Amino acid sequence: MSTIIILSPILYPAIIGGWPVITAAVTAAAVGLGLNVKEKVHEENKVEVAGAVEVEVDVNNSEVLTDNVVSGKELVLTSEEGIVIRVTRNERGQCKVCAYGKGFSKTELKARAEEFTQKLVQCFSYNRTVTELKNKEFQMINEEVMEDGSIRLHVRRWVD
Amino acid sequence: MAQHDIEVTISKTGEVKVHIKGVKGKACMEYAKWLTNAIGVVKDQKLTSEYYEPETKARIKLQQELGTGDE
Repeated sequence: MSTIIILSPILYPAIIGGWPVITAAVTAAAVGLGLNVKEKVHEENKVEVAGAVEVEVDVNNSEVLTDNVVSGKELVLTSEEGIVIRVTRNERGQCKVCAYGKGFSKTELKARAEEFTQKLVQCFSYNRTVTELKNKEFQMINEEVMEDGSIRLHVRRWVD
Repeated sequence: MAQHDIEVTISKTGEVKVHIKGVKGKACMEYAKWLTNAIGVVKDQKLTSEYYEPETKARIKLQQELGTGDE
């Protein structure tokens, strides 16, 4: 035994690769939750659905340095039951997840938005961790998804 | 050759728990520093018995390799 650290991820995509880093995590989260990545559009093209309820959830620690990120970019995901999830960023550069759909309560939509947000952060943490470990030539010994939804990795390397 | 193992658990909420094994003394802190820089901020940290064992020259080598030298 030597040390155990617990880290809260920070989604600083501008530092580590720009919007594509977020896009990769969004896509992985969408796949994990059975959502379709419908299209990638600019905010001005957003289609308003009459009568649709909408809720918004902030992604913590996701402030993006504005220099490297194109304003107005968003990703649109759709579920089979008709919920649309938009991932965008606000004027401060923070990622936002917005869920809307006809015939759903705000509580239902908030739950879906929060579920997606969690998955997004988990996928971001996973991508970031695995990339860094591979860069330092760690070998994957084991990788498994636990019953509680967490992902456990065991990596190893030999040092002179 | 020394075997360095890292066990990582990424919770459902994205929190990352890192358990660094097989690295004696303060050298394990080089891994901790490197992963912190890459992933986020430290929420909690525990030092275990191996941390207090005599460290070897490995620490300096790790610092150079991971780019975590004292700032």
